[in-house]
Amino acid sequence: MKRPDLKIIVPTLLLTALGMLIIYSTGGRHYLIRQLLFLPVALAGMFAAYAIPQRVFHDMAGLLYGVILLLLVLVLFFGKGIGSKRWFMLGPVAFQPSEFAKLATVLLLARSLASCRNPLFTWKTLFVPSIICLVPAILVITEPDLSAALVLAVILASMLYWAGFRPLHILLLFTPLISFAAGFSLYTWIPFFVFLGIIMLIRTNLFRTLLALLVGSLFGLLSPISFSLLKVYQRARIRNFLAPWLDPHGVGWNAIQSRIAIGSGRLTGKGFLSGTQTRLGFLPNRHTDFAFSCVGEEFGFIGSILLVGLFALIIHRFLIAARFSRDSFSSLVGIGCAAILSYQVFINIGMLLGLIPITGVPLPFISYGGSSLVLNYIIVGLILNFATKPQ
Amino acid sequence: MENKLKRLTQILLILFGILSLRLVQLQLVQGKRYARLSDRNRIRKIILPGPRGRIFDRTGKLIADTRPSFTVSVIPTEMDDSTLPVLARLLKLEPEKLNRLVKPIAFMSSPVKVKRNLDRTTAFAIEENRFRLSGVRISVDPVRSYPTAGLYCHILGHLGEIGRQELKKDTTHRLLDYIGRDGIEARYENLLRGHDGCEYIEIDARGHEIGPLPEKRSAPAVPGKDLYLTVDQRLQGLAYRLISQYDKAAVVGIEIKTGAVLCLASRPGFDPGIFTQAISPKTWDSLVSNPNKPFFNRAVNAGYPPGSAFKPIVALAALNQGIVTTRTRFKPCSGSFHYGNRIYKCWTRHGSLNLLGAITQSCNIYFYQLGLKLGLDSLVSFCKSLPLGKPTGIDLPTENPGIIPSRKWLDSRYGKWTKGILLNFAIGQGEILVTPLQMALTYAAIANNGKYHEPYLLDHIDSAGKTIRNISTTKHEIRSEPEYLDQIKLALERVVEHGTGKIARLKEITIAGKTGTAQNPKGLDHAWFVGYAPAEKPLVVFAVLVEHAGHGGVVAAPIARQLIRRYFSIETP
Repeated sequence: MKRPDLKIIVPTLLLTALGMLIIYSTGGRHYLIRQLLFLPVALAGMFAAYAIPQRVFHDMAGLLYGVILLLLVLVLFFGKGIGSKRWFMLGPVAFQPSEFAKLATVLLLARSLASCRNPLFTWKTLFVPSIICLVPAILVITEPDLSAALVLAVILASMLYWAGFRPLHILLLFTPLISFAAGFSLYTWIPFFVFLGIIMLIRTNLFRTLLALLVGSLFGLLSPISFSLLKVYQRARIRNFLAPWLDPHGVGWNAIQSRIAIGSGRLTGKGFLSGTQTRLGFLPNRHTDFAFSCVGEEFGFIGSILLVGLFALIIHRFLIAARFSRDSFSSLVGIGCAAILSYQVFINIGMLLGLIPITGVPLPFISYGGSSLVLNYIIVGLILNFATKPQ
Repeated sequence: MENKLKRLTQILLILFGILSLRLVQLQLVQGKRYARLSDRNRIRKIILPGPRGRIFDRTGKLIADTRPSFTVSVIPTEMDDSTLPVLARLLKLEPEKLNRLVKPIAFMSSPVKVKRNLDRTTAFAIEENRFRLSGVRISVDPVRSYPTAGLYCHILGHLGEIGRQELKKDTTHRLLDYIGRDGIEARYENLLRGHDGCEYIEIDARGHEIGPLPEKRSAPAVPGKDLYLTVDQRLQGLAYRLISQYDKAAVVGIEIKTGAVLCLASRPGFDPGIFTQAISPKTWDSLVSNPNKPFFNRAVNAGYPPGSAFKPIVALAALNQGIVTTRTRFKPCSGSFHYGNRIYKCWTRHGSLNLLGAITQSCNIYFYQLGLKLGLDSLVSFCKSLPLGKPTGIDLPTENPGIIPSRKWLDSRYGKWTKGILLNFAIGQGEILVTPLQMALTYAAIANNGKYHEPYLLDHIDSAGKTIRNISTTKHEIRSEPEYLDQIKLALERVVEHGTGKIARLKEITIAGKTGTAQNPKGLDHAWFVGYAPAEKPLVVFAVLVEHAGHGGVVAAPIARQLIRRYFSIETP
């Protein structure tokens, strides 16, 4: 067996330890014990992913993908959750298939793209990868879990880029999606279209530019219509991101209190177990999605920047691993895993810092939650497995 | 490959750079502000109201108390939808009304008073329903109450809520605080006021109190100082009762040796307690629209012509000028007196009288002639040393200085005036205006060989067991030879002995005094009696005025007699 990359393992273990402290601080002994019980499972998952030959993953990717799709369908009928159907309850343990859908998609996508010899912007080359992402995306949107669907888009984009597609083509592929998202507000829609127009004019000709803008605006028009079809809480989240002060005690309360918690930590923090925002219940879901607020409050800027640094280090090592993989399948899996991790870290911390709307994304290794912990350890195991020569 | 790795690393760097910069901004640049917000989240400052000082009479009877009362407050940001309807039901208020009250302050996160003086049952009902009333607090606030109701109303004045304009100038008060609006409550506001303390309590996100905050020390409330007044409840109570049969009247009693005010009553009055209760619009309207002006302190703020009660002063002036002696006689009284082209009347035919007789019998004809002989300037200049025509200096917020019309005053007012005006002045009519307090003080000076003290109501202060005496009394002296004062005193003694004031006579004590019947164009005459006792060694002086009641000897003198009898504790036979 080869020597695993310590620059991945050590930060992972450090983050996990920090996560345990935060779970104890925010959720108490009860949640700490439950999370500690998941740790052996997660470690076993990591060792399995590390030990199982890479070929098995390549060959089983389709089967795994199929099983996950089945689970995603089943969760729509038998799932549990607050206002959505996301979990299976296996006795006392909640199992969230959408977490594992990310990895299954990455594996199948990697296999599909690795077989593609000629990465050109054609229907043939883009159809299969897009479908691989679209099917689970539609299923998780139905739950509904918008952020779990968005991660699939990020995975697709980064893996297409890694496979050799031109950024412009990827942009064009995502134009309907982006213009749909930007269409909620003219303040985002107009800048996006100006940007898209300029890029297209520089890189292609006038006809293609107009075509892209036309398709884009069609999808952009759809979003105000679909906005009215959104669930009330989703609409509230978008509105509250744009103007949290309108309703300081409603959904915007979370965003404000999270910022107060992090900001009031200042340089050194209020000290372990001394965060008043956390202790006195000003933060919602503080042991899950809002765990980073507690890090910011109790450990201050030093603790927060250390945490961000550890994540940056891990993700950077993922990229290095992808660069030095033995084959293109492994390499693509590395990029996909880096995308999964980056997306979660940036979205979670970004929302708690008030940079993006509040969505339900846990922070890897830190937030309470078994499925997330196990998945992220499996990802680490895969990376350690696929990396040939850690530099 | 290498190129793409570089590109992705760059994207990664940008993303994490954004996160790091945002952390710098929130935690390092704006950290102080967020720390303050976090404290404001969890720390609730609770005001501990400092109770207002109590007020006692000279015998230690409580006349203004501070007792605990239940106040319900709301913290608007902590209320939920079910709070208002439940609270409205418990307070027996219209939910609409309560909603209108709370709506404009919905952003506030500190307690705002909603209703004061809750009865015990309501307060307990709210306390029991606490779990359904998030954001509602019951506090025990000290509230002024007056156990003697309206007995001391014009001495004490009343309280009122501080206005928004006043708050701008005064930083130590808070909105809805009460301050003294009149009387002793206003005059000694600074002594009476308690100083609020505060307490810091840690609360959780639901507004539940966790406990005191160790790192922020509480400041205890400091109660205001207790005041002991010079007034005597026995006399005040009697004075109040005696004048309550009249629509408009005033009584002042003063201790001659000190200037201490023993009683001071005015009719009509009011109950100062209504200002600290929830005053109903009906009660308020009836007080404000009452033409007799219940808030007006007639003993101190109303100016009346002194009538015949002024005659001893004219006589004293003439004696000191050396233009008459006690035996001087003028043209006999035939009931009327011709001067210029007018006829000036007397109330009866007195025949020939000397000065003493003229005072005793209150003969106008004698004083018309005396006035003419004395002249305006001599009279005015003599009055300068008397407590007339200027404030007495009593420790009340407002005081009517009265008018002693000088030549200059008459010139500026009338331009041309005839000497006939002097005839009116000589019998205390016309433009001369005095307050009952000024008359009491003037007679105190006559009784006390020309010396008088500035009148005062505050006897001493009790602050944390220490007694601080009020020794600000200033002494004054009137410009008169002692022998003339003795002569006037003799005349005043005779007034009660067998003159116009004989109704006031007492077997046990010799009273000296003078009646007065001030003409007034709007109705019946005002009745005056000013007198002191005992005549030989004067201790106490009373001035009684009853508006539109008729003759002073009939109406006012019996009131003074009763008060003197009470002062010397003479049992009614």
